[in-house]
Amino acid sequence: MGNKLLVVYMTLGYPNVEQFMEFITESARYADVFELGIPPKYAKYDGPVIRKSYDRVKGIQVWNILGETRKKVDIPIIALTYLDDWISQLDLFLDNLKGIGIDGVLFPDLLIDYVDDFEKYDKIIKSKGIKDVIFTSPSVPDNLIQKASKITDIFLYYGIRPTTGIPIPVSTRQLISRVRNLVQSRLIVGFGLSNELDLREALSSRADGVAIGTIFIEEIDKNGIKSALEVVKKIRGILDEY
Amino acid sequence: MVKVDEILPKYWYNIIPDLPKPLPPPRDPQEAEFSRIDLLRRILPKEVLRQQFTIERYIKIPEEVRDRYISIGRPTPLFRAKRLEEMLDTPARIYFKFEGATPTGSHKINTAIPQAYFAKDEGIEHLVTETGAGQWGTAVALAASMYNMKSTIFMVKVSYEQKPMRRSIMQLYGANVYASPTNFTEYGRKILEANPNHPGSLGIAMSEAIEYALKNEFRYLVGSVLDVVILHQSIIGQETIAQLDMIGEEADLVIGCVGGGSNFGGFSYPFIGHKRASKYIAVGSAEIPKFSKGEYRYDFPDSAGLLPLVKMITLGKDYVPPPIYAGGLRYHGVAPTLSLLMKEGIVEWREYNEKEIFEAAKLFMQAQGIVPAPESAHAIKAVIDEALAAKKMKEKKVIVFNLSGHGLLDLSNYESMMKRWAKNGQ
Repeated sequence: MGNKLLVVYMTLGYPNVEQFMEFITESARYADVFELGIPPKYAKYDGPVIRKSYDRVKGIQVWNILGETRKKVDIPIIALTYLDDWISQLDLFLDNLKGIGIDGVLFPDLLIDYVDDFEKYDKIIKSKGIKDVIFTSPSVPDNLIQKASKITDIFLYYGIRPTTGIPIPVSTRQLISRVRNLVQSRLIVGFGLSNELDLREALSSRADGVAIGTIFIEEIDKNGIKSALEVVKKIRGILDEY
Repeated sequence: MVKVDEILPKYWYNIIPDLPKPLPPPRDPQEAEFSRIDLLRRILPKEVLRQQFTIERYIKIPEEVRDRYISIGRPTPLFRAKRLEEMLDTPARIYFKFEGATPTGSHKINTAIPQAYFAKDEGIEHLVTETGAGQWGTAVALAASMYNMKSTIFMVKVSYEQKPMRRSIMQLYGANVYASPTNFTEYGRKILEANPNHPGSLGIAMSEAIEYALKNEFRYLVGSVLDVVILHQSIIGQETIAQLDMIGEEADLVIGCVGGGSNFGGFSYPFIGHKRASKYIAVGSAEIPKFSKGEYRYDFPDSAGLLPLVKMITLGKDYVPPPIYAGGLRYHGVAPTLSLLMKEGIVEWREYNEKEIFEAAKLFMQAQGIVPAPESAHAIKAVIDEALAAKKMKEKKVIVFNLSGHGLLDLSNYESMMKRWAKNGQ
């Protein structure tokens, strides 16, 4: 494997538990990190494809599946979920993650809806032995990107579009080069990377890796798990060219 | 002789990277039957959409757009309101940027031109939008004709009937102007079936415009609130700074009125971003008390609920504004960037009622001769208050404000204001 990180996103238990497990165990050969989406009450910053996937897995046994996944794969697992949903029982939530061996958590709403208190929550997360992966976007000012890059664990997530899975035209290269020099940690680019050109542009703009999700879900819906795994493999191949 | 190039900027200025906090992103509502963000992608010109979500501080203005800016008379003049200073007997120096000097009579044309250009550039031949009182529709009609494009304007029926002059201007520019609700869209037909005499609303007109653009693969143009609109309007403030530099003045106070926030943002953001003044005042109408009573939360920017939710100071999308004299200020919200700047205390606000702004408009007319748009008269009232405060404190402040439009097509509003107060014995 090359030096670029592939962060594979999948909605927990999608499209069903059995196929989810198959996708995860097989794609672990190509991925560096898993990002597993726990169905939130309101997927505020997710696009229509991921939202629909959440609807389809509503009511799943979150902790069981997370636990099973942990047993099956060795690479780091990050739980993606909204702080909104857990804020009233944050300690318990983090203890549960720790208990089953989940490595980290990513709250996409941390720097958006909790920007005045994000350092406080970061301390709580870390004090529980859970890694805090921070989500940023182009509208985060320079000084805050710098701050976030200093405290984030594993990598800094940089979502270049306003939502996942919608190919809003953006200047990928400019957006990345603006933050590249501000970020000391590993910089992972995601949100709406939907074609090879975009992917290559992100990689050649000195991103340390990419986070991909929507295309896998779309491929599962269209052609099934096997075909989605082929896409994971293909993306790994592209990453390894850099 | 001063060259245009020394004043008209070559770049639009984007305040987002200079905001004190991250701008909360637009989002889809919780139970969304379709994605509003995806809808934007299908109706806006691509480059407009890219600019909406960019973080670049400066974006080059295409030469084809600058040419059109020049041909509508940009840079617009910066006047010193010397006679107003005399009448107020203030030590303050008052300057105003006159956006009413454009052919359509307001700042709206500044964004209609680039939006039309970017649509044309991707091979589109037909533009669609909605209009209430008519300023925005007029700007789109002219911009379309400047690039040899067709335009269709859905005008709220009650305005269509009550503002025949605005309708005529759009038609003379070559636009198809329809009284909304119409029979051309499914949405309009549904409304008409239920009530053939429906007076229409901005929300209905917008829904019709979007449906019409989608069905025919035309492009839809947006007149305010979105970041990209304020970006285009940034030429107002940049020109003003260049003009002040030429006469060796430094602004202390920057003042403008707020409908959705595009004239205020376009005027003040270059000052804020480059720290070229010390105090900023956004002025609204006391009858639409969004500054004093609005909440800072996610809300739809449009009453139809077709655009993505944005975080802003809002009275709620279903807020029904009273039928005030200044149509442009009847909007329920404040642009997200301006909301954030107000929340952070960088921009202050004032609200004035009809009587106050009427007196201010009259004084300004008698001093300077220009009929201000009733919207802009709100800014004038704040300027007068600040100039009188400077007099009290014996401060030689430099006050700069944006006269966002002229009021020659609003004379019937002024007339009704005069009558109303005469009756009340005022």
